[in-house]
Amino acid sequence: MIEYILMFTTILGAILALMQRDLLKAAILTGIPGASLAFLYQYLLAPDVALTQAIVGSAIIPVFIALAVYKTRRVED
Amino acid sequence: MNPLIALMIIVPIICALFLNLLHKKDRTIKAIAIVMAITLPLLPLLANYGLHYFGGYEPLYQNPALSKGLPSLITGTALNTFHPAITYSFQDAQKLFIFILGLVAFLAIIVSLFETRRPSGVYGFMMFMGVAAVSALILTDDIFNFYVFFEIAALATVGVVLVSQVKGNYETALKYMILGSIASPILLLGIALLLGVTGNVNITDIILSLKSGAVNPQNPVILMACGMIFFGWLYGSGLPPFHTIKSAIYSKALPHGAALLQAFSVFTFIALGIIILRIFSYLPLSQLVIIGVSLLAMIMGITMAILQTDLKRMIGFLAVGELGYIGLGLGLGTALGITAGLFQAVNEVVITAFLFIGFGTIYYQSGESDIRKLGGFMVKNPKVALLVLLSGFAMAGVPPLNAFQSKLMLIQASVQAGLPELGVIMILLSIVTFMTFMKAFHAVYMRPQPSDLEIKNDFIPKATILALSILLLVCLLLGLFPQMATNYLQGISTSLAGGVP
Amino acid sequence: MIMDTQLASLFTAGALIVIGIFASVFLDNLIKKVIGLAFIGDGANLFLIAMGYKPGGIVYIYLPGMARDWFAQNSAYPLPFAMVLTSIVIGASTMAVMLGIIMVLYKKHGSLRASKVLGE
Repeated sequence: MIEYILMFTTILGAILALMQRDLLKAAILTGIPGASLAFLYQYLLAPDVALTQAIVGSAIIPVFIALAVYKTRRVED
Repeated sequence: MNPLIALMIIVPIICALFLNLLHKKDRTIKAIAIVMAITLPLLPLLANYGLHYFGGYEPLYQNPALSKGLPSLITGTALNTFHPAITYSFQDAQKLFIFILGLVAFLAIIVSLFETRRPSGVYGFMMFMGVAAVSALILTDDIFNFYVFFEIAALATVGVVLVSQVKGNYETALKYMILGSIASPILLLGIALLLGVTGNVNITDIILSLKSGAVNPQNPVILMACGMIFFGWLYGSGLPPFHTIKSAIYSKALPHGAALLQAFSVFTFIALGIIILRIFSYLPLSQLVIIGVSLLAMIMGITMAILQTDLKRMIGFLAVGELGYIGLGLGLGTALGITAGLFQAVNEVVITAFLFIGFGTIYYQSGESDIRKLGGFMVKNPKVALLVLLSGFAMAGVPPLNAFQSKLMLIQASVQAGLPELGVIMILLSIVTFMTFMKAFHAVYMRPQPSDLEIKNDFIPKATILALSILLLVCLLLGLFPQMATNYLQGISTSLAGGVP
Repeated sequence: MIMDTQLASLFTAGALIVIGIFASVFLDNLIKKVIGLAFIGDGANLFLIAMGYKPGGIVYIYLPGMARDWFAQNSAYPLPFAMVLTSIVIGASTMAVMLGIIMVLYKKHGSLRASKVLGE
């Protein structure tokens, strides 16, 4: 059952991240699909991929985007 | 097991990483880059033919010590012949391709070292990394390994464009990356579908399972995978609808960088084209689609080249148009057609590099590439003008230069395959190519010099003249003795045509 | 259960790819475009993982004491998983390069709108 919840949060998080007007919020929300994908990989029998995805998808990518937002502008024009 | 095969990838990668570390040490960078660049064309000449298994994991049937004691479930079935390691296959065609790639890379790197005022380690890094990636694309027999190096080659292309400091290079690079980030996952999906159907990523094994009936070859999923890999092919080589972005990429790079970039895309084109032919040639529409896309590329590339006013953009479109000739050869599907197409690929890499470096002297001297603002270069350096004129002759297919031989072979092959119309189109487009070239040549060299044209560098470095002469020599040699190249290509084209010589 | 996990994850992967392509083509903000591109990569990765999943299987780590034949029949297929590891890293590095280019372009144009920055 938990797999289906994770799939749902992945898609919902992706849509929510793209709907934000505040780009910093969008950057942080990008972490939700990243983290849920990591858990989903664990349930799909791939623990090593899950570890990598947990670091890359829920920490590195949001931080990169947040840095880019910090260096440019925060609100979508 | 031949260690030199792996070295063809490892040497440029090590050199690239090393150059990146040396920042602002111009002399050292120059020396190291020249020495390492010389090894690029030498390595394929020295290596023996053979297969290289990374990690040393051969197929089980080649290693009786390993297969002893395994259950017959493994040794008695197709599992016995599968390749567990990433396999690189180095045969005669690969030898020719990597030699030509190494030669063009060597000349481009030498020219770049002498034409840029301060040789930058980063630029060298990008060039060497791209060479390593494209060599791997040519060598690899593993379709996922192909994807990895496909991405590295795209990143290296973007890097070469980013360091060029041509106006508008960042915008073009970003556009290219956005398109690439859509196209490469689609290529990956195609690979995933093939993996899902056959359970393998090794191309030889995929073909084995399709031919032996372990997998139903008419499975619609395979058709879908073919479409997705085909889309990646269009992106990687700059066929329509990606021809505009690809020619923009060439025009935003420095001329020596563009000479190398077009070599990258031509070799990506044939590497992935050969893979598509090997796996999917039994699908009824595949050859027709390849011919259609190639025709479109030829017509759109060459007609758009006439309209351009930017010199580098014009050659970029011509380069895309010439890709169509190669595709036509591959799409004909006969042994003669495929030989002619691959031979045309080799010729095109040499000739387009020749054109880019030749017209690059104009950019070096004046910092301008708009043909409306140029003129009068014939008086300044007649030697270079003659060399550039010869390169234009080579591209249009004037005997005794090399493209004449390959285009003649292509026309013969199309007549033999029962499609003489293609031959007519090829001849017409050759004439248009020549017209486009002569328009640019007239504007740049024969017109009197405009009064507001400012000359930055009076003298062209000797290295550039040397590079142009070497390229001319290769053109002449291949034109007079085409067997030198076609003998290497016979084997692969026979096997691609299904064993019919 | 409405459908099995493998099929559901394939659908999730498809949805992620569609969302990503929509975002990267139709949204005007460059950062949003990049986020969309990251989703396309994630979708492709999930697709590969779902290819290797085996319903009711076990993790592909061979522990001492397992019977060899039982392990061979029940473990998930590890080849796609090894590929995804590479693919994730490639995706992250591509995205870092794109974000770097966007920062440079913002300095030059003072805007993040694709129609302004990438148009003529």
